[in-house]
Amino acid sequence: MAELTSFGYSCGDSLLHRMDTRFKIISIIFLSLVSLNVSFRGIGLMTIILSGVIFYARLPLAAAFKELRYFLIMLLLIFVTRVLSTDGTPVTNLQYFTVSMQGIYNGILVCWRLAVIVILGFAFISTTRPSAIKAAVQWFLKPVPFIPEKKVAVMMGLILRFVPVILNQARETAEAQKARAVENRKNPVYRLTKFGFPLIRRTFERADDLVVAMEARAFTEHRTDPELTAGKRDWVILMVVCCLCVSLTIL
Amino acid sequence: MDIIEIENLSHRFADGTLGIDGINLNIREGSFVVIAGLNGSGKTTLLRHLNGLLLPTAGTVRLAGISVTQDLLQVRQFVGMMFQDADSQIVGETVYEDVAFGPENLRLDRAQIQRRVLNALQAVGMSDLAHQRPHLLSGGEKRRLAIAGILAMEPRVIVFDEPFSSMDYPGVKQVLQNILVLHRLGHTIIVSTHDLEKIIVHADRLILMHGGKIVRDGIPADIMKDVELFGVRKPCAFRLGLEAESWLN
Repeated sequence: MAELTSFGYSCGDSLLHRMDTRFKIISIIFLSLVSLNVSFRGIGLMTIILSGVIFYARLPLAAAFKELRYFLIMLLLIFVTRVLSTDGTPVTNLQYFTVSMQGIYNGILVCWRLAVIVILGFAFISTTRPSAIKAAVQWFLKPVPFIPEKKVAVMMGLILRFVPVILNQARETAEAQKARAVENRKNPVYRLTKFGFPLIRRTFERADDLVVAMEARAFTEHRTDPELTAGKRDWVILMVVCCLCVSLTIL
Repeated sequence: MDIIEIENLSHRFADGTLGIDGINLNIREGSFVVIAGLNGSGKTTLLRHLNGLLLPTAGTVRLAGISVTQDLLQVRQFVGMMFQDADSQIVGETVYEDVAFGPENLRLDRAQIQRRVLNALQAVGMSDLAHQRPHLLSGGEKRRLAIAGILAMEPRVIVFDEPFSSMDYPGVKQVLQNILVLHRLGHTIIVSTHDLEKIIVHADRLILMHGGKIVRDGIPADIMKDVELFGVRKPCAFRLGLEAESWLN
């Protein structure tokens, strides 16, 4: 299996790529919260700015849309639900439902807002190395009591590392069962059991091997901390984002 | 100087099975030792005592005079271990991060970590793949990455557990080349295998294990006649009475 998804980090040297991850996370949180409350004009302005940023950072938006096709279907469902469930000036009458002007307006606005949040997430994921996300999460969790931030960071890293391995194992198990005509068995419970148990067993065996390999490399929670460097540039960008958020809310 | 000294080492697993029984073994620094035997003969159990992954039920293991039970961290830095399944020992999301895992555990500063990682990647010829994701590497590259991960800890002894299993010919040659370079650089090399064909010509000592015990120990040519008594196939060259040749030729 070559690549899991195109919705992942893509190398680059743009400002977004170079920005400190902690500042990026804070900016994304602010922008996402604001996008939930902005009007048509605000969300339009956000979309223009976001498109400019994506174009400037040369992010693979077309490939990401391919990955997001199921999300687009979900947006369509949300739109239809909004259109049919909002009262207002009728545009047309279906047999049991009325399509209202307010419904269409609401549906477009909600879907647009959600799409902007997802594209913000895409811009973040595409310009941030997983290790930098891990380091930032560790940094944010440091002051939180009772949460072992270093352990959480290692676990995050291991999940990212082992998802492709587990998916490969799942594919191998499925192919081995197809080779023995599992498709002739129509009972889904039978098939799920025969597929699930070997996969889970193998995953646990791998986890055991991993523990031994980590011990052999002297694993300890008291490791060298990841490197995070924030500069003047990051503060300036954060200030710009804050100003933008205020303007969008006013608009 | 003997870098590894093992005296009366026995290990009994939690279910009562005896893994190894009364092992006495000294290994000279800089030597190239092959340990051969059937599956379940105790090779892996013995090797796991060398860096404290298993602790003795009875007996002692000393590395350069230090008992493994005395200082586990130092022992793990001292003995690097490459496991049979390379996929299960790669922990980083990129090649660079995986190699940095060991030095980070040793709490080195970032500059030292970077130096060690770059040197290790260069030693295995993977500098160009530093930012590659490990699951996209070939089988041979994964093994070389595992070797780089060990090298970054700067060990004196390197243990390879079945290093050639499920590998194609070019992969075997690359890994073998890496092992020989490490030996030339002065590392003590210990290779466990049940397939002598690919490695024996480079070894200066062969140890045969059977039923958790060492049953033969000596220069490969001297004990080659006995290997099949213990379930290990004699290499073709020895069967045909020819001079053994390296897989690198």
